[in-house]
This record gives sequence, structure tokens and C-alpha cells, in this order.
Amino acid sequence: MGFSAAPAGRRTPAGAAPPSKARELRWALLAWAALSAVLAFLFSGEDELTRNLLALFGLGEDWLGGFLARLLLAAPVALVVVLNFTVLRRLPKRVQIGVVWAELLALFLAFFYSFDLSFPFIWDRLPILVFTGAFTTVYISLISIAVASVIALAGALARLSDHPLAYGVATFYISFFRGTPLLLQVYLIYLGLPQLGVVLDPVPSGIIALSLCYGAYMAEIFRAGIQSIPRGQWEAGYALGLTRALIMRRIILPQALRLIVPPTGNQFIAMLKDSSLVSILGVWELMFLARTQGRMEFRHFEMLITAALIYWFLSFVFELVQARIEAHFGRSERR
Amino acid sequence: MTSRLFAALGALVALVWTVGASAGPVLDRIKERGVVRVATDPAYPPQSVQKPDGSFEGFDIDVALEIGRRLGVAVEFVTPAWEIITAGNWGDRWDLSVGSMTPTKERARVLDFPAIYYYTPASFVTHEACDFAEVADLNDKVIGTCGGCTYEFYLRKNLTIDAEGVPPFEYLVTPAEIRTYETDTNVFDDLRLGCGVRLDAGMSALPTIMEAIKAGYPLKVVGEPAFFEPLAVAIDKGDAEFAAELARIVAEMHEDGTLTRLSMKWYGVDLTKAR
Repeated sequence: MGFSAAPAGRRTPAGAAPPSKARELRWALLAWAALSAVLAFLFSGEDELTRNLLALFGLGEDWLGGFLARLLLAAPVALVVVLNFTVLRRLPKRVQIGVVWAELLALFLAFFYSFDLSFPFIWDRLPILVFTGAFTTVYISLISIAVASVIALAGALARLSDHPLAYGVATFYISFFRGTPLLLQVYLIYLGLPQLGVVLDPVPSGIIALSLCYGAYMAEIFRAGIQSIPRGQWEAGYALGLTRALIMRRIILPQALRLIVPPTGNQFIAMLKDSSLVSILGVWELMFLARTQGRMEFRHFEMLITAALIYWFLSFVFELVQARIEAHFGRSERR
Repeated sequence: MTSRLFAALGALVALVWTVGASAGPVLDRIKERGVVRVATDPAYPPQSVQKPDGSFEGFDIDVALEIGRRLGVAVEFVTPAWEIITAGNWGDRWDLSVGSMTPTKERARVLDFPAIYYYTPASFVTHEACDFAEVADLNDKVIGTCGGCTYEFYLRKNLTIDAEGVPPFEYLVTPAEIRTYETDTNVFDDLRLGCGVRLDAGMSALPTIMEAIKAGYPLKVVGEPAFFEPLAVAIDKGDAEFAAELARIVAEMHEDGTLTRLSMKWYGVDLTKAR
């Protein structure tokens, strides 16, 4: 309970009286004690850091692994954590978020740094990872999402139509491509189509697989968007003497897009990473290069971590782009 | 409008169809283009690895370049995954595999193996801290290797090598459990965690094991090689002329010492003769 004191304090509703100094101190001390106990339980008390600490206090090797040795390391670490929380909550909200991000990022990087990575190895291979790998990943994803959007619109319209043939084809397609793994679809298209005499190169095969798979998911997103527009909009259109197609194009779709765009951006970010499945076809995208480059000197971690950071960066950029697009389609909602 | 759409679709399908079907015999195609496209899986130092600039190097790469030179054409490398190469039915995607492939019975159903170009010792590997002295000590242990490769077949006592001049071998080990990985180099990463942490031992090509040890992996070889596997160039089924030409070129490379020279360069020993 004491453990949660610091974050709980942050949730004090705005306008409520700030907790008194004495009360805050009491909670902080309690949190420190509780966290020290938990950490003392988790630490081995036999590591290099503890050894140095013991030496600092003039204690011998025979203390190693004992409760005191564990506490000796746990107490300062817990103090840093608790102090961090107490200082943090005094800052403005935006600054708090920024500091939390910076701290987590620093921990994350320190974690990777502890792997003893070879930075020259990464540096030598960064150009091919970025200019060939990330470039291929992005262009395959961009083409695929464009094609998938067209398929999704057609699929959604067919799914909503009264025509039994269109409805049957659309539901069958959506059911199959949502119901099987993307990896399997990649294999089927690359290895299966040649049995019918259609031999496709790896990149087109990958784009077809990604487009068909994501088209199926997005058809459901498009359908939900179209169905969410109230019936009154259709009736008003008919009353004006407009045709069904025209109402769809001019009235329903523009309004539906506001609801369709956010989940589509989400799908794109997911596709950015799913495009790594195309690597089995030998397409030199980011994941393929991360694996093959790492094998040269048996340095897998260097390449995998670099690729992870590049994927993350790409997703981050597209999150920003998505926010812009959402703002554009949501402009009717703004006052 | 609908009929026009269908007509366009029909035309597209017909176009793709003819492109796929018009592929003639492989050798004619290679001569006509002046390029032989070679499939390589750059996961196996020192056979084939990818350099930071995207080009390749290794024993298989040098052999492929030499075959291209003797065919009088340029060499282009493509990098499909190993399962895709061994699945056969390459169509017009690539012409040849110089990928240290063992001519097993199963693979011979979908691929042709015109010529054996060297023999690689298959060995057991373990963590430095393990005290297995010989291969028989690995009975009832957990052994890792690549899925669907000859080492897995060997561990499952199900290895049939479909080629002439294959040295005989015996099944020396009955593991408690066989763990398979995407490729045998992944085995080394599990093995390096310590003796028995995830694996007790692994099975791989001796040159690949030596390469990992050279890269600083805390591993050691257990006993003598379990078997010597012949490794062949592979082509898609159905072009006898191309197969004969490859058999001639590889025989020539055996005779004039080219293969021995390349083997010395990459492996430090002559692996081109059966033992």
C-alpha cells in the first residue's frame, strides 16, 4: 500500500487542497521502506556493486549475500525511485510526461548498453539498414495500404449490398483472409500461384499478400464507418432526388471517413511491422537485412536492436502524420 | 462499365499467364540473357554472408561466380529463404542454387542435383563448460539443430542421401529431445547461454561451428564428425542439357584444382574429396 503512495498522490483531483508536508513525508518514508524491502528481496547481494558498497563501509566479504548486504544496495535505489516521484509530482503535467518519457528511454538504452554491443559494427551497417531496408519496408507498406484501401472500400460496399453474389464473394473473402495467418498467405501466393502458371516476383507477391490481408480487416472498418452514418442522411439524399451512388459518394463517405481514418492509420502502423513477413521471400526489407547482416560476425543483437529502433522511429513519424490527417478529416467537429 | 472492367482483368490474367508459361529451357534462357541467377541463403558463414554494402562473399559465392565465368555469363544473386529454395518449382525466378545443399531423397523429388562440389563434416557442438568427451556421451541429452535440414534427419535416424559416392555413416546418438530452429546458427545463441541452460548440445556443419568459435562463442566441438555430407549444386527439375553442362563444369573445377584452392581459402582444409 505504501508502495503506491507516490503515484496515488499524483492523482489528487484538481482543486483539492494539496496534502500537508508532514503527511507527504510520512507517505514517502513508508514508500521508501516498502520498496527497500521488496528490492532487498529481489537483489542477490552478491554482485560487484554490493561488494564495493561493503568495502566502502569497511565490511568484509563474509557479509556478501546477507540481509544487510541486500539492504545496503536496495535502500539507495529505493530512495532514488521515491525521490523521483516526490520531485516529479511538483512539476507541471506536461513536464511530468516529458520527464517520464526521458527516464524510461534512458533506462531502455542503459539496458541495451549493458549488452556490450559493438557500435562500429552497427555504424558500418546503418546505411544499408536505412537506405535499403527501411526504404523498402516503407514503400511496400505505402503501396499495400493504398491497394488495401481500395479493396476495403469495394469489400465494404459489396458487404452492404443486397446483391447475393457481391455479398457472398465479399463475406467469403473477408472470412478467409481474416481467418488465416498472414505468413501462410505470403507462402500461398508466392509458392501456390506458380502452380497455376502465374509466377510473381517477391515484391509483388508480398504487396498482394499484405493488401489482401489488410483489405479484409479494413473492409470491416469501412463497413462500420459507413453504417454509423444515420439513416436520415440517406433519406434526405433520396428526398433531393439523388441516386444511391451519388449519395454514397457525396454525403455518406465524406462523413464516414472521419471515423474510418483513425483505425486505418492504426492498420498502417501494424502493416509497417507485418511487412517483415515478406523477408522470407528474400525481399531486402528491414527485418531481412537485420537478420542476414547480423549473421556475418554472429552479432545478432546489434542488428536486431538497431532494426527495433528504426521500426519504432518510423511508427513514431507515422503517428504524427496520422494525427495531422485526423485533424483534417475531423475539422467539421471543431468549434 | 462492368464488361470493360472484366475485359481488362481478363487481359491482365492472360498477360501474366503467357509470361509465366513462355519460360523455355533454363540453359537457353541463361545464354540469351547473359546472366545466371543464383539463389543463396546468406545465413552461413563462411559459405555465404552479406557484406555491409549488400554484396556477398563466401565459399559458395566464389564457386557460383566461377561457374558463371565458365558458362560465359554474369552472375546475379537472389536471397529467398531456405524453405523457398528447397520447395522447388522455381519457375523463372532463379536458375541455380549453389547453397551447400545435401541431395536428400525428399529434395530429389522436386530438384535435380547435377554435381557434388564438396563434402562437409557434420559435427556436434556443446558449451565449453559441458564435459562431454565423445559423441556417445550425448545420448539422452537435449540437442538443437536446424528444422528440416540433414542434421535433424540424422538425429531422427531418417537420413537418406541420394547421391553417388556418399561415404557410409552410423547413427551414434539417441537424444532425449530434439529442438529445431529456423537455422543452425540460432542453436549457437541458445547454447552460449551455458551448459544445459536451454540445450546440452547442438549439431551443425563443422566449418560453421569453427566460425562461431572464431567469433568468440564459448563453444567446443564434441568428438569426431558424425558423417560427411556431400553438397551439390541444385537446379529445378526438367533441363537435362543444363544439368549436363553443370556436371561438366564442376568436374572440370574438381580436376584443375579450382575447388581445392577455394576450399583452402575459406575453410583452411581441402573438403572437396569424400572421406
